[in-house]
Amino acid sequence: MAEMTVEQLADAMYEMIKEAKGMKKYKATDLQKAMAERFGADKQTCKQAIRLLMDSGRCIYTYFGGSYIEIPPDQPPAP
Amino acid sequence: MERRTDIGPPHYTKFLPPVIQKNYGKWKYHEGVRPGVMVHVAESGDKLYTIRAASPRLLSVQKIRQYCDLADKYCDGYLRFTSRNNVEFLTTKEENIEPLIAELEAMGHPVGGVGRAISNIVHTQGWIHCHSAATDASGIVKSVMDDLIDYFTGKKEVPGKLRIALACCLNMCGAVHCSDIAILGIHRRPPKVMPNLAQMCEIPNVVAACPTAAIRPAKVDGKDTVEIIEEQCMYCANCFSVCPALPMADAELDGVSIWVGGKVSNARSQPMFSKLAVPYLPNNPPRWPEVGQTVRKIVEIWVEHAEPDERLGEMIQRMGWPRFFRLAGIQFSKEHIDDYRYAALSLKRTAQVHQA
Amino acid sequence: MAEGKKYVTPKLDELEKGPWPSFVKEIKAAAQKSPMAAALLGQLEQSYDEKIGHWKHGGIVGVVGYGGGVIGRYSDLGDKYPEVAHFHTIRINQPAGWFYTTEALRGLCDIWEEHGSGLTNMHGSTGDIIFLGTTTDQLEKVFSKLTALGFDLGGSGSDVRTPSCCNGMARCEWACYDTMKVCYNLTMAFQDEIHRPAFPYKFKMKMAGCPNDCVAAIARADLSIIGTWKDEIQQDDEMIKKFADEGLDIQRQIVSRCPTRCMDWDGKKLTINNENCVKCMFCINSMPRALAPGKERGAMVLLGAKAPIVQGAQLSSVLIPFIDLEDEESWNDLKQLLENIWEVWCEEGKNRERVGEFALRVGFGNFLEAIGLEPRPEMVAYPRDNPYVFYQTAKKE
Ligand code: HEM
Ligand code: HEM
Ligand code: HEM
Ligand code: HEM
Ligand code: SF4
Ligand code: SF4
Ligand code: SF4
Ligand code: SF4
Repeated sequence: MAEMTVEQLADAMYEMIKEAKGMKKYKATDLQKAMAERFGADKQTCKQAIRLLMDSGRCIYTYFGGSYIEIPPDQPPAP
Repeated sequence: MERRTDIGPPHYTKFLPPVIQKNYGKWKYHEGVRPGVMVHVAESGDKLYTIRAASPRLLSVQKIRQYCDLADKYCDGYLRFTSRNNVEFLTTKEENIEPLIAELEAMGHPVGGVGRAISNIVHTQGWIHCHSAATDASGIVKSVMDDLIDYFTGKKEVPGKLRIALACCLNMCGAVHCSDIAILGIHRRPPKVMPNLAQMCEIPNVVAACPTAAIRPAKVDGKDTVEIIEEQCMYCANCFSVCPALPMADAELDGVSIWVGGKVSNARSQPMFSKLAVPYLPNNPPRWPEVGQTVRKIVEIWVEHAEPDERLGEMIQRMGWPRFFRLAGIQFSKEHIDDYRYAALSLKRTAQVHQA
Repeated sequence: MAEGKKYVTPKLDELEKGPWPSFVKEIKAAAQKSPMAAALLGQLEQSYDEKIGHWKHGGIVGVVGYGGGVIGRYSDLGDKYPEVAHFHTIRINQPAGWFYTTEALRGLCDIWEEHGSGLTNMHGSTGDIIFLGTTTDQLEKVFSKLTALGFDLGGSGSDVRTPSCCNGMARCEWACYDTMKVCYNLTMAFQDEIHRPAFPYKFKMKMAGCPNDCVAAIARADLSIIGTWKDEIQQDDEMIKKFADEGLDIQRQIVSRCPTRCMDWDGKKLTINNENCVKCMFCINSMPRALAPGKERGAMVLLGAKAPIVQGAQLSSVLIPFIDLEDEESWNDLKQLLENIWEVWCEEGKNRERVGEFALRVGFGNFLEAIGLEPRPEMVAYPRDNPYVFYQTAKKE
C-alpha cells in the first residue's frame, strides 16, 4: 500500500468522524488506531494529521469526562 | 503578528530575585524569625527573609496589584505563591519585615502558616465555578480558617504540622485524600435520568462510566435511555461527569464528610490516606457551623495529645481508633467500615486491639 | 467596563467578616469593574440560599489548535444572570516554583481586567494560574496577549497536565535535585502532549526535591519525582551536641522515632546505620544544620497516584528507585520511559482509565515488561503473598 500523506490521512479521519457524528465520538487514540489498521499509518503522521484538522478548524477538541475530536457544530451551542 | 503556540511558560530564572539566582542550590539552613517569617541562610552568608501571608486563593486583579505594590516597595519587585496558595514576600532586608507585616495585616492578610502551624486550606471551586459541587469550597474554608486563625498566626502553639484540605466532590481536585483533616463534599442521591439523555450522551459510554455497574441500558416509551440500579449507586458522580443528563445535586441530601489522619510527607511514617471520621454533616451556608465545630474539636484533640511533630494520623495509630472516636465524641457507624475493593485490608486482622 | 448590576447578598456579606481574607471581598472588588463578577455574586448568593450549585459543564470551547487550557462553563440560570451565562476558565502554565516579578503579574492582571471577570485563582490545584470567567469571543484575544507576554496555556482534558514542582534549590537546603529545572524541561519537552489531548485520560507530573514532598507529588501525580540520596546522611557532631545541650532529648524525640530504628545515641555521639536508613527526612527535619541529606543525590520516580475517580484512590509506587537527573543520559532515559508508558497506555488503556489503574488492571509485572523495565524489589512493599501465580513458562511453549 502506498504511504498515505498527512493530508490524505486527515481526510480519512474527517470522513470517519463525519460518518459517526451523533452516534459515536472518537478520541485521538481511536483515530490513530483506525488509521494504523486501515492504512498502516504510523503514529507520528497521525498526530500531524490531527493537528492539521485542528489548525484548519475542520475539527475541534471537545471535553466530556475525556477529550474527543469532533466536527464543530454549525452554531455555537448554548447547552 | 504571527500567532505563537507551544511556547511554554516563561523561564523561571527571569523571576528569581538576585539573591536566589546567586545562591541557587547553595542554601545552608533555614530558621524561624517570628511566626510567619523565616530566614534562609546561604553558604555565602547571604540571607533571604520570607514573609508568608494568608490568601483566599480566589484573588481579584485589584488585590494582585496591591501585592505587587508591596513587593515593589519592600522586595525589589519579587514575590511568589506557595503550594498551599499563600503569598510569600521575599527580601534580603531585615528592616523591611515589620513594616511589610503591618501593611499586610492592615490589608486583611494575616502573616503565619510557617513551621509548626496550621497553614491555608488547599481547596477547590465549589459553587463559584463547578458543575459537580456537592458543597461550596470558599465559604467553608473562610469559616474554618476564621475559627482556626490563632493556629495560623502562631498565637496558639501546635505540636507540628496539620494540613487541612477541602474538595467539593469526589473528583477531589485538591487531592484531599492524604490530608490530616479532609473536608469532602458528598452527594447522597442517585442520579436522575433526564428524558433527553440519548440526545446528549452515548449510552455505552454512560454505562461504562459506572464503577459499580449500577447503570444499564433501558427503553422508556420506546426511546433508548438508561436506568439506575439505585441500591448499587455509591454517589460518585462519575456518570454525571461523562453525561450531563444525569444530575446528582440535591439541596437537602448533599453535604459534607470529614476524613482524618492522611499525610504525604515521608517523615517517620509512610504517606497515608485519610480515613472517614464523620460520614455526613449538612450544608448550612453561609458558615457551615457543624463543619467548623467538628474540625475544631479534632484539632484540639491533636493539640492536646500529639507528641512533638506527630501528625494526626500517627497520633491516632498510636492511641488507637476506638480512643479517637471516643475523644471526638463521634458515633462509630456502618458507614465507617469499608465495603469497596480493598475492604478486607481495613478490618482488624489481629488480636492486638486498643481496648477503649 | 461599566459597573454591573448590584445584587443583595446578605449570606455572602456574612463572609466578609472575620480575620481570614475574604473571597467575597475579592469578588466585590472585581465587581467594581466587571459586570460578570457582579453577576457571579448574584448567582452565588442564590446557591447559598438554595444549597445547590448552578454551573453546567461541557466543553467545545478553546483556542484554535489546542484541546487543553480552556474549560467551558455555563450557568443554568443564564436568563437571570446573563453576564455569567458563559463563564469559561482559562488555565495558564505557571512559572516553575510560582516565582514572579511584579512586572509579569501586572501584565497578567491587565489582560484579565480587559478580557475577563478580573477573578483569578493563584493557583489551581494542578499548579496553573487560573483565570475564572470569560466568554468565547475573548479567548483568542487573551491567548494572543498571553503569548506576547511570554505565557502559554496549561493542560486540561485527556492530556499531560501542567507539571508543577516545589521551590527546590531556589530556597531549600534539602533539595536533592533541581526540581525547577526538571519541571521546566519536562514542560518544554512535552508542549504538544500538554496542548493536544491524545491520551485515555489526564496525566499529571509533580516534582518534589526531597521526601518531605511539599507538593504532595506522591498523592496527586501520575508521575511523581521525589528527591532522595544514596550515601550517608551528612552529620555535624558539634551541631548535634548543641541540640542536645539546648535540651533536645535525642534518644526519645529522634532515635526512638526513626522508622527503621537505625540510629544510636550514647549521650555524646549519634551513630547512624545508613544501610538501614530509608531516607524519610525525619531526623534531618528535626536537627537542621546538624544533619543533611547525603552527597550522592538524585531522585526516585514513582507512578500512578490519583483521586478516587474512577476505580478508587491510589498513591504512586516506585518505578525507578534512583536516577540522577543531572546528566544528559538519565534525562533521556526519563523521557524515553515516559514515551514508553504513554505508548502502552494509549494502546491498551480504557477511556478515563488513569495510568495507575491501568497498570494494576493489566498486572504491574506485565506493565513493567511492556514499558521495558526490569522488576526490582524496591518496587514492592513485600513480594506477593498470594500463590495464584500466572507462571509464564508453560504458556510460552
Ligand atoms: C519556627 C521557626 C521555623 C520556621 C518558621 C521554619 C520554617 C520551616 C518551613 C517553611 C518548613 C516547611 C513546612 C511549611 O511549609 O510550613 C519547615 C519544616 C520544618 N522545619 Fe523548619 N523552620 C523553623 C525553624 C526550624 C527549626 C529551628 C527546626 C529544628 C529544630 C526546624 C525543623 C523543621 C521541621 C521539623 C520541619 C518539618 C516538620 C514536619 O512536618 O515534620 N525548623 N520549617
Ligand atoms: C469541568 C468542570 C471542572 C472544573 C471547572 C474543574 C476545576 C478544576 C480546577 C480549576 C482545577 C485546578 C486546575 C489546575 O491547577 O490546573 C482542577 C483540578 C483537578 N480536577 Fe477538576 N474541575 C472540573 C472537573 C473535574 C473532573 C470531572 C475531575 C475528575 C474526574 C476533576 C478532577 C480534578 C483533579 C483530580 C484535579 C487536580 C488535583 C491535583 O492536581 O492535585 N475535575 N479542577
Ligand atoms: C527548608 C525547608 C522547607 C521549605 C523551604 C518548604 C517549603 C514549602 C512551601 C513554600 C510550602 C507551601 C506552604 C504553604 O503554602 O503554606 C510547603 C508545603 C509543604 N511542605 Fe514544605 N518546606 C520545607 C520543609 C518541609 C518539611 C520538613 C516537611 C515535612 C516533613 C514539609 C512538608 C510539606 C508539605 C506536606 C507541604 C504541603 C503540600 C501541600 O499539601 O500542598 N516541608 N513547603
Ligand atoms: C492456592 C494456594 C494454597 C493452597 C491450595 C493451600 C492449601 C492448603 C491446605 C489444603 C491446607 C490444609 C492442610 C491441612 O490439612 O493441614 C493448608 C493449610 C495452611 N495453609 Fe495453605 N494453601 C495455599 C496457600 C497458602 C498460602 C499463600 C499461605 C500463607 C501465606 C498458606 C498458609 C497455610 C497455613 C498457615 C496452613 C495451616 C493452617 C492451620 O494451621 O490449620 N496457604 N493450605
Ligand atoms: S472537587 Fe469536584 S466539585 Fe470541586 S472543583 Fe473539583 S470537580 Fe468541581
Ligand atoms: S453516581 Fe457513580 S455509582 Fe452512582 S450511578 Fe453514577 S457512576 Fe454509578
Ligand atoms: S520537598 Fe523537600 S526540597 Fe522541596 S521544598 Fe519541600 S523540603 Fe524542600
Ligand atoms: S532519615 Fe529517617 S530512616 Fe533515615 S536515619 Fe533519619 S529518621 Fe531514620
